[in-house]
Amino acid sequence: MNPYLEALSHDTRRHFLERCSMGLAGMFLASLAKGEAPLAARQPHHEPKAKRVIYLHMAGSPSQLELFDWKPELVKYDGQNCPQHLLEGKRFAFIKGVPRMLGTPYKFAQHGGSGAWVSELLPHFATVVDDVTIIRSMTTQEFNHAPAQLFLHTGNPRFGAASMGAWATYGLGTENQDLPGFVVLVGGGNNPDGGKSLWGSGFLPSVYQGVQCRTSGDPVLFLSDPEGISRSMRRKTLDAVRDLNTLQQRRYGDPETAARIAQYELAYRMQTAVPEVMDISKEPAAMLEMYGAEPGATSFANNCLLARRLVEKGVRFVQLFQWGWDHHGSSRREDIRHDLPNKTRAVDQPIAALIRDLKQRGMLDDTLVIWGGEFGRTPMRENRGGSYGSFVGRDHHPYAFTMWLAGGGVKGGLNHGETDDIGYYIAKDPVTVRDMQGTVLHLLGLDAHRLSYPFQGLNQRLIGPTDEAKVVKALLA
Amino acid sequence: MRGRFAVLPILWCCALASPAADFQRDIRPLLAKKCFACHGPDEHARQAKLRLDTFEGATGQDGGFPGIVPGNAARSRVVARITHESRPMPPSGEPLTGREVALVKEWIDAGAVYQRHWAFEKPVRREPAVRDASWPRNPIDGFVLARLEKENLRPSPEADRYTLARRLALDLTGLPPDPTAAEAFVRDTRPDAYERYAESLLASPHFGERWARVWLDLARYADTRGYENDGRRTVWPYRDWVVRALNANIPFDEFTIKQLAGDLLDGATEDDLIATAFHRNTLTNTEGGTDDEEFRDAAVKDRVAVTGQVWMGLTWGCAQCHTHKYDPLSHKEFYQLYAFFNQTEDSDKPDDRPTIKIGEASLPVMKELVPAARLTRIHERGSFLNPGEPVDCGVPQAFHSLPEGAPKNRLGLARWLMSAENPLTARVQVNRYWARLFGAGLVESEEDFGTQGSAPVHPELLDWLATEYVRLGWDTKALLKTIVTSATYRQNSDVTPEAYERDPYNRLLARGARFRLDAELVRDQALAVSGLLSRKMGGPPVMPWQPPGIWQVVYNSETWTTSEGEDRYRRSLYTFMRRSSPYPAMAAFDAPSGETCTIRRIRTNTPLQALAALNDPVSMESAQHLALRALKEGRSPAERLFRFVLARPPSAEETARILALHREAREELRRGGEDAHKLLRYSEVLYAEDRETAVLADARDATVEWRYTESDPGTDWAEAGYNDAAWSSGPGQFGHFEKPADDLKLRTEWKTENLWLRTTFDVPPGGVDKPKFVVRTNSAFEAWINGASVMSNNLGRNAYYEYELPQAALRPGRNALAIKVTRLGERGQIFDTGVVASRKLDFGKVRRKHADRAAWVVVANTLLNLDETVTRR
Repeated sequence: MNPYLEALSHDTRRHFLERCSMGLAGMFLASLAKGEAPLAARQPHHEPKAKRVIYLHMAGSPSQLELFDWKPELVKYDGQNCPQHLLEGKRFAFIKGVPRMLGTPYKFAQHGGSGAWVSELLPHFATVVDDVTIIRSMTTQEFNHAPAQLFLHTGNPRFGAASMGAWATYGLGTENQDLPGFVVLVGGGNNPDGGKSLWGSGFLPSVYQGVQCRTSGDPVLFLSDPEGISRSMRRKTLDAVRDLNTLQQRRYGDPETAARIAQYELAYRMQTAVPEVMDISKEPAAMLEMYGAEPGATSFANNCLLARRLVEKGVRFVQLFQWGWDHHGSSRREDIRHDLPNKTRAVDQPIAALIRDLKQRGMLDDTLVIWGGEFGRTPMRENRGGSYGSFVGRDHHPYAFTMWLAGGGVKGGLNHGETDDIGYYIAKDPVTVRDMQGTVLHLLGLDAHRLSYPFQGLNQRLIGPTDEAKVVKALLA
Repeated sequence: MRGRFAVLPILWCCALASPAADFQRDIRPLLAKKCFACHGPDEHARQAKLRLDTFEGATGQDGGFPGIVPGNAARSRVVARITHESRPMPPSGEPLTGREVALVKEWIDAGAVYQRHWAFEKPVRREPAVRDASWPRNPIDGFVLARLEKENLRPSPEADRYTLARRLALDLTGLPPDPTAAEAFVRDTRPDAYERYAESLLASPHFGERWARVWLDLARYADTRGYENDGRRTVWPYRDWVVRALNANIPFDEFTIKQLAGDLLDGATEDDLIATAFHRNTLTNTEGGTDDEEFRDAAVKDRVAVTGQVWMGLTWGCAQCHTHKYDPLSHKEFYQLYAFFNQTEDSDKPDDRPTIKIGEASLPVMKELVPAARLTRIHERGSFLNPGEPVDCGVPQAFHSLPEGAPKNRLGLARWLMSAENPLTARVQVNRYWARLFGAGLVESEEDFGTQGSAPVHPELLDWLATEYVRLGWDTKALLKTIVTSATYRQNSDVTPEAYERDPYNRLLARGARFRLDAELVRDQALAVSGLLSRKMGGPPVMPWQPPGIWQVVYNSETWTTSEGEDRYRRSLYTFMRRSSPYPAMAAFDAPSGETCTIRRIRTNTPLQALAALNDPVSMESAQHLALRALKEGRSPAERLFRFVLARPPSAEETARILALHREAREELRRGGEDAHKLLRYSEVLYAEDRETAVLADARDATVEWRYTESDPGTDWAEAGYNDAAWSSGPGQFGHFEKPADDLKLRTEWKTENLWLRTTFDVPPGGVDKPKFVVRTNSAFEAWINGASVMSNNLGRNAYYEYELPQAALRPGRNALAIKVTRLGERGQIFDTGVVASRKLDFGKVRRKHADRAAWVVVANTLLNLDETVTRR
């Protein structure tokens, strides 16, 4: 074992033994007893299909009715009052009284061997549908952004639980110890509504929280040496830190000191490894062009290319957030006619490029790509304050939305689930957020019912305390 | 019992386990873990009508299935089921080990006697019995030593005075000792020197600051409301109240009652009301389109759960959906507790009402609805949308009743918590003090004293402390003094490999505690030893330097504006806490975000901590001032630095290594361009905004004429040399509003969709540092400087907002700025911009003395990163 792992293992065993109930984290104890680092790659519960995940979260929730869920009937009803039975007993974020139905202004066509219906707003995505499973029957139980995002990513609409990426690195560790195991890239100018808890470790130890990599400033906070400290000076100080710590460990005997020495060496290696992986300028021009990426820019295209570079280097879970999909129709910026095309233009080509790129590198088979928002949008046109202005949009809709998955053990060219004629309720094969969480963990080789961590008297799990989550077998390749 | 049997077989199974099966120690934890989920208190989850958490249930006397025949393991069905060949119970998870089965059989054969969970019985005060009476200084030591004697272990010798000086100062005040004070204590030969030193620290105003931080973790204190907007909330007067209350040492029962029900006290004072903000730290969801009742309900549930966690160490929150699976709290009882909190006026409103005025500030407080207006009902499956049977205020049956004459409101509940009959409150609180002073509680699961929690290693010590706290009249400082003056606390923390192997987590307390400092202490220590720390107490939260771009919260244009003067160097307690964007250098060291009640922080050791401690400019700034302070004070900077940082003199080896580093650093700095000056003037380099001036004024400060057009100018209009003579001319702000806000200065009307703007500005010959756009607009825009695109933005934050520009975008002399604006707003539009930048610092030549002095900054940076520095030992 190298000295770093050896030192860290002390810390780790100690840490885990302090925290884990007997038996509950047996899997981890077993591997840690062998002296592995907290992020060392670990054996999953069963043979995994996906070794890594790229999750593209469209914060604000794009309209499934403009992008994937083609509803000619709804177009027919456009402008008519919404029937009362669809409104009774329902809570909406902004709709008041009786709204009108809203058909999509966009054209849809069938694509690929699967005949998937895709909107004209996603011409590039339409070319890769045969590598994708589109799930048009997603449902959730939350209809406000922050709670819905928290529910999706942490399994709890309130704060304090651990995110999916944290669970994945807790369960599986990561392949490259010089990079964080769980990387987050935020785009669109804002953090997602749920804030940093969406990639937090909650009750899990904070080594499992997502590390935000930024495309301007330091790629990881405090990664760069401060002004006045050169690289060689940093090496000199680290050598001195190591020597003085060694003297102190000899004197006081605490193994924690050895762990800290190891962390400082790892930090030094990260200072080189992270900027290297974050620098897309050495990518061939054709690659940059395929993604629409531009070195130095801050864009979703750059983030997609970075996601591929990160997973290629062994990062376990890459989480992208792209903000700005909350098209209520209360202003031009939230209008599905004026602004939605801007948003789809920014993501469409990079997403298709990402899938194609992973495929040509032979990585799509064991890399799971996930796309979606936190809920859907209403088949009714939003009437904020009870009346209509000049802009058009839709309210939050928890009962039906679309997500898609690609690669990582998921069937290509599958259309899973259906909504009713107007896209209000699920008509066939509903998939809940908990099912999605259970399925993602299953693909990673983890049993969502067993992956747990003891906290506050309960074995906490991503899928929550009940056993309602099921693996959606129909999606599995 | 967490982890013990599985991971420390030598210590716990052989050395500690006594031969007979003990219900409290062996059987209940086993049943709780393996059986209660399906055969416990929750009747809805109960399988096969079998209940194993009570004697009546297990033996079928309650009408259920008799799984246990007392005195006869062989005839007990439970034994048959746990030893079943092919399908042993439990159905999922690991089956019982041979040893566990043997314990169960032994216990049943001995009569299957149930006892109440230890933590639900009142503490019993016993006196310790030890052979060696010379070591103990007070009863704490008696209990510890009795246990060590049983294990054939000896306590460690007392730590040296330097170590004790630093340990006590960090533990009691959260700050390192001043070297002079440390030295005075070391040289104090009076027999009660240690007690005197401890007393002086307990009397320090910094005591309150240190222990307030501990309490604020529980209070889920933060300066914002949480969720999407996460806007500001004024709660700092409550934080200051906690500091004052701790410094004034108000008894813990009073401290409790004021926070839970200060508003209900007769003749409630302003302070009593301020205290009730404890439970107004719940999150408020001001996201558009939320159901206020949903989040009011969430806040009430949080108050119930947090009250149970903080005062009784119980996980009451588990019972909001169904009866608790492990502890005696039914679904109905949860809502009886909920009823206590269900009559307050607050209702998830964005203005936080009800509030009281404290000077300029409006502080959210608790206020009871009069008359009571809400009927509390059970929430089926925990959902407020599924109200069930109505319930009244009430306390859980498994515990004592409400005290005689206690009102059925929060005040009554608070008195019930502090009642002498309560078996938990004192234990939970003394355990908390112990955990902060020893790195782990006597009950390690501080957050769970229920049947799933860990059992105390020193149960008699826990009970003695609990009864002592009550005997002292809940006098916190007196209790802390008892603990820190014990011989147990004063032990040396050094450990040999053998001792470490024997008891890696020091649960037996055969040595002093050694653990990493909390996030706030890491930062405060760096500021203190460098002399930068401001001792100013209280007031609104401050914003010390943090990396740009951390605050990017949706629908909220608030910015992190670095504080000025001493507010940059206040104790971390006063740093602005935004829930969705915690202060990054502290988050790296496991500081909580304030989103939930944090009973104990999980300490980690990560490379991100190393990066923060090495590279965070605030840490580097401390290194600069620390080095200059050491240079000013003495002839031997190496020794001075060591004494400042670690409150002890360095060893000869340490001095030699430091001097070697200093030499190497000096050589490099002699050759290294401006580095020596940058290190010696690091604060000036860092706070570029102190040298900031407008190179192009915005409309707030001046009237600047722009060239503009509203019709598409074609292709090359953004180039530096473009001829804009045909364009119109006018000053900012540009725009139009149906109802303009008062602070607008719209000077040139713009109502159409697009606006093209051009102007020029001058940059001094030496160039500038850190140029930024200052923009106010609710529109999208794209900007070019000298023909090169420098930024585009469509977020439209309608307030003056700064955006960093690339350093290379500006050149000395004349620069051409071109902007295209696209309207987004519906009811009006505005655009205005300016450019600010910082004057460049003028560094002279690097001389030998600069390199020599700057090399001490490098050494200081190194010392601030030692393991011993971030550790309390």
